[in-house]
Amino acid sequence: MTATLSGLITEPGPAAAPRRRVRPRLEPGLGASVLVAALSSAFGVVLISATGYLEAMLRADPDMGRSDTVAFLLSFLGTVLLGLAIYVAAVVTANTFATVVAGRTRRIAQLRLLGATARSQRAQVARQGLIVGAVGSVLGLLIGTAMAMGGVALAGSALDLDVDYLVPRPSLFGPAVIVALTTWAAAWAGSRRVLTVTPLQALGAADEPAYEQVVRRPARHATAGFLLVTGGALLVGGIGIGLLSPYGVVVAFVGGLLSFTGLVVGAAVLMPPLLRLVGRAFGGSTAARLAAENALRYPERSSRMAIGIVIGVTLVTMLAVAAESVSARIAAAWRGPLPAEMQRPLDTFTAVMTALVAVSAAIAAVGLVNLLTLGVRQRRRELGLLRTLGLTTGQVRRMVLLEATHLTVTALLTGLVLGIGYGWAGAQALMGSVWLGPELTGALVPPALPPGPIVIVVGATAALTLIAAAVSVRPAVRVTPIDALAAG
Amino acid sequence: MLIGQSAPRPAARVQQLTKTYGSGEGMVHALAGVSVSIRRGEFTAIMGPSGSGKSTLMHIMAGLDAPSSGQAWIGDTEITGRSDTELTVLRRRRIGFVFQAFNLVPTLDALGNILLPFDLDGRRPTDAERTRVDRLISALGLSGRLRHRPHQLSGGQQQRVAIARALATAPDLVFADEPTGNLDSRSSRQVLGLLAVASREGGQSIAMVTHDPIAAAYADRVLFLGDGRIVADKPRQTAEQIAAFLLAAEPAPETGSATGATTTAATQQVPA
Repeated sequence: MTATLSGLITEPGPAAAPRRRVRPRLEPGLGASVLVAALSSAFGVVLISATGYLEAMLRADPDMGRSDTVAFLLSFLGTVLLGLAIYVAAVVTANTFATVVAGRTRRIAQLRLLGATARSQRAQVARQGLIVGAVGSVLGLLIGTAMAMGGVALAGSALDLDVDYLVPRPSLFGPAVIVALTTWAAAWAGSRRVLTVTPLQALGAADEPAYEQVVRRPARHATAGFLLVTGGALLVGGIGIGLLSPYGVVVAFVGGLLSFTGLVVGAAVLMPPLLRLVGRAFGGSTAARLAAENALRYPERSSRMAIGIVIGVTLVTMLAVAAESVSARIAAAWRGPLPAEMQRPLDTFTAVMTALVAVSAAIAAVGLVNLLTLGVRQRRRELGLLRTLGLTTGQVRRMVLLEATHLTVTALLTGLVLGIGYGWAGAQALMGSVWLGPELTGALVPPALPPGPIVIVVGATAALTLIAAAVSVRPAVRVTPIDALAAG
Repeated sequence: MLIGQSAPRPAARVQQLTKTYGSGEGMVHALAGVSVSIRRGEFTAIMGPSGSGKSTLMHIMAGLDAPSSGQAWIGDTEITGRSDTELTVLRRRRIGFVFQAFNLVPTLDALGNILLPFDLDGRRPTDAERTRVDRLISALGLSGRLRHRPHQLSGGQQQRVAIARALATAPDLVFADEPTGNLDSRSSRQVLGLLAVASREGGQSIAMVTHDPIAAAYADRVLFLGDGRIVADKPRQTAEQIAAFLLAAEPAPETGSATGATTTAATQQVPA
């Protein structure tokens, strides 16, 4: 373990050991990657255990025991949710490593100057990813297993069930291994920029990361465009078919999946204009303008920070809007509220799915807080310059808060619009043809917006903004004007 | 007030300034009782070897650092003992800065950087100020570069943008910290010439910290610091006179071999 950890932890030389103990320190920013890996691995363990337990419960129930479809649906949903969490975690991790590499440019350049190859430098970064992933996965495995065992015991005693289910089983290693490998791969993807560092950059005096333009990646942009167009067409088609047959929802589902993937793939192109728009809306004070420019300084980094939140907000809103629209349609047809035996399972399903999607949102939130803080740390010199020229600590606070706000508000608005759109499309495609009286059948009915979930989503985003600002403002206000000069 | 009318009040002044770091045996006196005035409208160079206290003096005079004891004024305003926010507002309104490198905010274009002191103050420049800024921009040859971001500008252009920003508010004092340290000799001459003109024709008070005798030769007055004290205060000097004074002020070397090394290093600093 010590041998593998040496790549990750900055150790004191052997000579320094006897005098004073220097605490081994994790590279700033990578702690969050361990947390992200642990979260996704624990989530996987809990999901596998929960679906396994439910299956065992169904099998124990003589009336439900025959339901293989339910068991299949459960494991299918579980796989989709876990895949989503791992995907968001991979985006967050790749982004973190890309940011760490950007902050380490000078050191990498110095090593390159002394003869290290770019390839070996990149391999070293990727190795850190493997270690981070392994440590996080094992932690997540242990925590997740403990949580699952606690949950099984609790369910057994609370519901007075006698279900024979042993939590620890080989399949639990599955998510842990997948998460460790994905983290490794994400670190590899995020470290691509190591290859562009030249030895000369160690010699330059003014070596600030330049204002970065969106990298042109024609293949990626073409893929995003294709997915968006195809997905959009299928979505519209699904709604059309839905007016005649409930199978329209299958077409719409595929369309939603494709178009949303297109949005995520094309985030680096689609998000910056939205960020700019939101940035302008916050006015022209220096703090606001600097914050708006900071959010756009690394468009890809900001887009990837925002997209995790967009995914979470979209899915939660979509589920809530779809459920609300379906029940509103039925309620309208019956001219009265839904009977409790129909409303309750619908609510329970929505609540459980929302909670499960929220795990992905939490992973994205960890990434956002971490990257904002890293960004502030890497701008130490610039903050010192601004402080020298007359930016007060109050203005620094406002700037950092606004920077976080620009990102979260952009993500929130995008997610709400998409979620309402997808939720409505799903409900419309599913219910459009169901006979609910002459007015509703075969007609387009506007979406029903449930106030509760939307308030929760907005509240959670506001809380995230405050947490992100509170964490990243600390290194920012600690910068003194002298820091800008000393760094020269 | 009466004194102010008889003798022009200084742009900046410090009285019995001391600054110490550490404590006990390891205590270092960066400044050991410095009293000096920066005269209004003059271009003053502050010289001295590294560790002489010249940077510390500048930091305290500019309200960037607090002294261990003593007082400092910008114009008539005492700046010692003020809160961080008061000092910050004072810096943005009454002091201009030009540094050796990394002078500009990378996310703002040249014009945004020049107008930053007004923006930080939460106001637009008045018509008179806007006229002044426009004159500075054309005098510094920046008219075609206003929409460029710092990374699209050469080192000399970046320094000229920094000078325009420092002069934009007509501050009580402009502090220039090794403003030519990162430039080639041609850009250096240009930057120093611009500072000298700003002082001579614009009446701008400028204090420049430097270790380069050629740069100091552009100044109206040269202050020499050594071991945290002012060791000499001279009117305009040639680069040769300055270099000769610096050489003479070097502490006596301890060994023969070190003599040779010191002399060679010092000779290389003397301009041809």
